[in-house]
Amino acid sequence: MLYCVWLAIVLASAPALGQSEGTARHDILIKNAIVMTVTHGKITNGSIYIKDGKIAAIGETVNAPAGANVIDAGGKYLTPGIVDSHSHIALDDDVNEATNPITPHMMMKDAFDYQDKAIYRALAGGVTTSLLLHGSANMIGGQAVVIKHKYGAARDEMLFPNAPRSIKFASGENPKRVYGSRDQLPSTRMGNFAVQREALIQAQDYMREWDNYNEKAKRGDKDATPPKHDLKLEALADVLRGKIMVQIHIYRADEMLTEIAMAKEFGYKIRAFHHALEAYKVADQLAANNIAIATFSDWWGFKQEAWDAIPWNATMSMRKGVRVAIKSDSEDYNRRLNQEAAKTMRYGDATEEEALKMITLNPAWIVGVDDRVGSIDVGKDADLVIWEGYPLSSYGVPEKVLIDGDVYFDRSLPGLGTTHYKEGE
Amino acid sequence: MTKPAISFLRSTKCRFFASLGLTILIVMGWARAQDKPVVLRGGKVLTVTHGVIDNGAIVMDAGKITAVGDAGTIHIPGGARVIDVTGMTIYPGLIDSETQLGLTEISAEEMTNDLVELSDEIMPHMHTAEAFHAESALIPVARRNGITNAVIAPESGDTLPGQDSFIQLAGANATEMLLIRDNAMPLNFTGDQRRNKAGFEKRKFPSTRMGLAAQLRQAFLDAQDYELKWSDYERRKADAALNKDKDKKPEPLAPKRDLKSEALLPYLEGKKMIVLAAESPSDLQTAVSLANEFKLKFVLNHISHSQPVLDYVAGLKVPVIVGPIYEAPKEDERYDTVYSLPARLYKRGVKIVFASYSAHNVRNLPDQAGFATAFGLPYDEALKAITINAAEIWGVADQLGSLDVGKTANVVVANGDPLDVKTDVKQVFIAGREVPMSDRQVRLRDEYSK
Repeated sequence: MLYCVWLAIVLASAPALGQSEGTARHDILIKNAIVMTVTHGKITNGSIYIKDGKIAAIGETVNAPAGANVIDAGGKYLTPGIVDSHSHIALDDDVNEATNPITPHMMMKDAFDYQDKAIYRALAGGVTTSLLLHGSANMIGGQAVVIKHKYGAARDEMLFPNAPRSIKFASGENPKRVYGSRDQLPSTRMGNFAVQREALIQAQDYMREWDNYNEKAKRGDKDATPPKHDLKLEALADVLRGKIMVQIHIYRADEMLTEIAMAKEFGYKIRAFHHALEAYKVADQLAANNIAIATFSDWWGFKQEAWDAIPWNATMSMRKGVRVAIKSDSEDYNRRLNQEAAKTMRYGDATEEEALKMITLNPAWIVGVDDRVGSIDVGKDADLVIWEGYPLSSYGVPEKVLIDGDVYFDRSLPGLGTTHYKEGE
Repeated sequence: MTKPAISFLRSTKCRFFASLGLTILIVMGWARAQDKPVVLRGGKVLTVTHGVIDNGAIVMDAGKITAVGDAGTIHIPGGARVIDVTGMTIYPGLIDSETQLGLTEISAEEMTNDLVELSDEIMPHMHTAEAFHAESALIPVARRNGITNAVIAPESGDTLPGQDSFIQLAGANATEMLLIRDNAMPLNFTGDQRRNKAGFEKRKFPSTRMGLAAQLRQAFLDAQDYELKWSDYERRKADAALNKDKDKKPEPLAPKRDLKSEALLPYLEGKKMIVLAAESPSDLQTAVSLANEFKLKFVLNHISHSQPVLDYVAGLKVPVIVGPIYEAPKEDERYDTVYSLPARLYKRGVKIVFASYSAHNVRNLPDQAGFATAFGLPYDEALKAITINAAEIWGVADQLGSLDVGKTANVVVANGDPLDVKTDVKQVFIAGREVPMSDRQVRLRDEYSK
């Protein structure tokens, strides 16, 4: 943060500096925009200066070097890029390693298909960051990958640099249906939680073995032999060590309480409940445990455990102090998450800023990248969307989408509207 | 044996009574409960057919709209209940042109689903009216959000999955809610009807589009033969009656009844509407030539991937139930290829309507219309596509689809633009009666807000 302040000062006082650095990336000045910052209100005739892919200055007027590329937003809305905290796009058919209910060693990065057009279609809907999660067939699924929607860039450029690790847990109908249909454990919710608890106990034993060994080795015990490396238990041990954030697919309120109790039993923290359609029933407990939710705006009734879903879930939970994100879990809805967020203004009177936060800063927190994206603040990545129409409505459509200060989508362009991806290449 | 279905539909007199019956149902059923006139005064009235009245008023009496006009000058009947709707937007009840309301409750729970009979591809004798569950918890959810009428269609797994019904989303029971039974019949030719999902060793006929087309053609030919057989029988029977005393011939034997063929006859006679579903240009053109071969009267459905042949579509001069516009574009297509389809059809003079194609998400029907305007569809046309256009296609424009005197008083009061996702519906009137603004979800909200 200090660096950012310094940068802003330098830029303000020495506007020519930006150009002289000679980086490949051009500095950009976006002017004449209604800037919805998410964290500090709205600037009606605002400008943003982008330097080296980061937001360097925000205000009614900003000092930018003469050589900066100017984007005149023409009085349109400018928001942070949308963050989708629950997505399964770009994984081909490799969402679920549904061969064992405990697969914490699966790495979604290994399945990441960076050429999937779904990345582009979401980009055109204003999504700049997504958390790609393992499916919910397993009680403990694999580890997520965080991507930026730089469609047309190289694979590794699309990986969110140094994003924290997340793991997918599940509960309820999916695991019991998948394994129950094969006459395997689990086929009930009792079975679900027993499988989860058993795995965590194994991880505790594994940690103990390694701790013992490390201690012996440290003492210089020459007879100490290292335990066998076990990828599965290593991953779970990292959960217990607090090194991996736990993201839990869950619908029913009773299961949320059980998951909270289990997390306490084993000493890890739950980052977010996903889907969480009954969060409104236990919102105070979620708030007390600092557990966020990544929920749908109004999906319901698609299965028994979604029968008590209500469209006020997001706002009721928010008012009890829960950090709420609206997510897609869909390659359809991730193209218009802005509309999904706007529904919270209808169901429970969320303010414009609260609604926008549910698809920007709050999901960024769930993903663990809220210090880098999710709001328009100096020092953050310049992941920005210029909208035609008011974004929190049926009518808002992204005109330009920037990621790390680079335009990746421009609606006015012919063809796909992509700047980095060229058709036929 | 008799064959009442055919005789009934053939008779002009009976057709007249059938349409009269429809009128009576709309007026009588739910309207019985409107005990005194209701006046909504002071809101912005979107009439759909004759513009917007900024400070308007509407009078509803005995289930009908009896006056629409300026708030200052409208005549308020004696004994009327006057509701101040200043700041609100008033518009006609919305019409969803394809839903599965009443055919499902919880999607993943098979026992709650009566969506489509997959045991055969040709099932025109399935009547959604006979599965329609009037007490479904989904109906109040849709209704509370301003959808007052809908077409109930079977799911699209079969080429001919059965017949639609046209419902009103309020009524004491299914009979009251089913305004028109068997109002139309889907003919699905999207490719999804092929029985080719199980791999080569388990495939059954029809596993190709050739198979689907041949099977369909055979079904229509069978129905035509069936019709001939019966008219021949009736002629011989009449002859026999005339010549009873002359030749002592035995009474001719009645042909065996065939429900499938009977169901197809009103469609072959052009009396009822086929809803012709296709996605790609080739499927579309194959299906249209088949429909023309049998002189079917049809509207088009979906055509989400027929962008290359929109001039051809316009040339057919039939309405299109478009989308859903959320249908994903093909891999090589621009992101907004389907979003912009309504606008592109409209520009070519095609009458369009929207459908939710859903049961749980019927309430989101207007969002789709709003979104289409962001891709070039004029606002007024988007609103028409979920009101008057739909009423016209389904043959109920004399009663529904706009705020006009004489129409059924299906009226929505909302806190803003009906096509915006943010807009909250405050009150719905169906046939002039205030619909309870509650549903399962509202009750849960209130229970957990205590």
